[in-house]
Amino acid sequence: MFNIHFRTAWSYIRRSPFQALAVSFVLTLTFFVATIVSVLVYSSSRMLSYFETRPQVIAFLKSDAEEGDIADLQQRLQANPNIKDVKYVSKEEALLIYQEATSDNPLLGQLVSPSIFPASLEFSVTDLSFAQSTIDTVRQEAIVDSVGFTAALGGEASLDDVIGRLKTVTNYVRIGGITFVGLLVVTSLVILLVITGMRVVGRREEVEILNLIGATKGFIRSPLVIEASIYTLSGVVLGWAIAFIAVLYLAPSVVMYFGEIPILPKDAIGLFKLFGIILGIEVFAGAILALSGSLLTISRVKKVR
Amino acid sequence: MSQEETLLINFKNVTKTYGSVVALDDVSFGVKKGEFVFITGPSGAGKTTILKLILGEIIPTKGEVRVDNLNIINLNDKNLPSYRQKIGVIFQDFKVLPDRTVFENVAVALAVVGLPESEWEERAKHILKLVGLGRQANLFPSQLSGGELQRVSLARALSINPKIILADEPTGNLDWKTSDSLMELLEKINKEGKTIIMATHNMEIVGKYKKRVIHLNGAKITEADKEK
Repeated sequence: MFNIHFRTAWSYIRRSPFQALAVSFVLTLTFFVATIVSVLVYSSSRMLSYFETRPQVIAFLKSDAEEGDIADLQQRLQANPNIKDVKYVSKEEALLIYQEATSDNPLLGQLVSPSIFPASLEFSVTDLSFAQSTIDTVRQEAIVDSVGFTAALGGEASLDDVIGRLKTVTNYVRIGGITFVGLLVVTSLVILLVITGMRVVGRREEVEILNLIGATKGFIRSPLVIEASIYTLSGVVLGWAIAFIAVLYLAPSVVMYFGEIPILPKDAIGLFKLFGIILGIEVFAGAILALSGSLLTISRVKKVR
Repeated sequence: MSQEETLLINFKNVTKTYGSVVALDDVSFGVKKGEFVFITGPSGAGKTTILKLILGEIIPTKGEVRVDNLNIINLNDKNLPSYRQKIGVIFQDFKVLPDRTVFENVAVALAVVGLPESEWEERAKHILKLVGLGRQANLFPSQLSGGELQRVSLARALSINPKIILADEPTGNLDWKTSDSLMELLEKINKEGKTIIMATHNMEIVGKYKKRVIHLNGAKITEADKEK
């Protein structure tokens, strides 16, 4: 039974190839942009998450701090749900880190002794919004000399600025991207309505005959729904595929540019998984678009009895 | 069983108006299973309105139309298609699907009634052969004559094995010879037990085939149950 509807839908497409091309092109563009925006949203989220989860806060300890007090503070920090990855760095380890950092000039490393480096407790916060209050709390500890943070972008003076900038960038990507995709989806829907509307007008006699010989609504609607589905499915697959190829092409230079910031999955499986999820969502969205477009048009056909 | 219960089609005091225009005025008649009935009368007498009422295309303004014991006023979007699948319709203007072949026009009707696709070919070929279109199966309507188009319409109506066949001026666009051959086909089908209601103003045909006549004039039945 599906065959007859599919053949009918295919014959509509073949009979008016330019209409079919127009609607397919717009849908391809929509889903291409939707795929790119999805990747941008993913990347910006990963970037934000990276800065949120890397060790950001270093509590430098006073030189006379007792081991017992240090262990006590470390335990209290670990028990705090807003804090994770608490790590104690002794004076000796701090020297090693310094020597590694200055390995290209060994003389610098030899001129210093562990005693000049303070021991520290390094930790990160689960969300950057907790950072400032956490720093203020830790700073009041008796064994803490000073507190610093490492998440500095673009020379911001305070942690609030860092948080603000990251969140603003992420929000721009999300809101801007979603608005743009939304506009394209509406445009696609309108074009789909125009094309299926033209089909309904062209099929008026056929619909009348089918009605008279006892065709159900589903029987009459099926070719239109299938036609709209063919358009949206081709738009989804083409738009997604072009975006995928573009990302694959650009991925090496993008990954190199951002260095250790994991804005894209590092391995091929992760990348395929990401694009697989995007494709799944787009196929679902495409199905909704095709159904709503075609059924909305059919519902406007006046019923006479 | 009462006489009313044996009727396949029963019109009881049916009035149909379109705004201020009265198309049928207090019309009552019944048709038994297996009958062949001509509905005659001049243009605008209400012949097509009767067929439309039977088909459930319109509902009466007053009165009751029962077909196969079903009051057509009770037809809704859900049961209307299955109801119509029991009725084969032949139209004066053929109403064939122009972008489908003769075979496909019949196949569409078979698809509508839900016959499995594997059975379409055999059934369609058999019916097309019956109406004399065996060799035209793969032609498009634009390649057929008026008589052949009417046969396509008939083949489509017959293919679904309907209880009732409604024919609305089926010979209106045909020459005498083609009309005669179509009528012979309809008579043959009627002899196989199908109920046929045919609207026509061709009195020569009515005169030739001795069937029951319901004559309408001015939206009323003027001469009913006349066996010529």
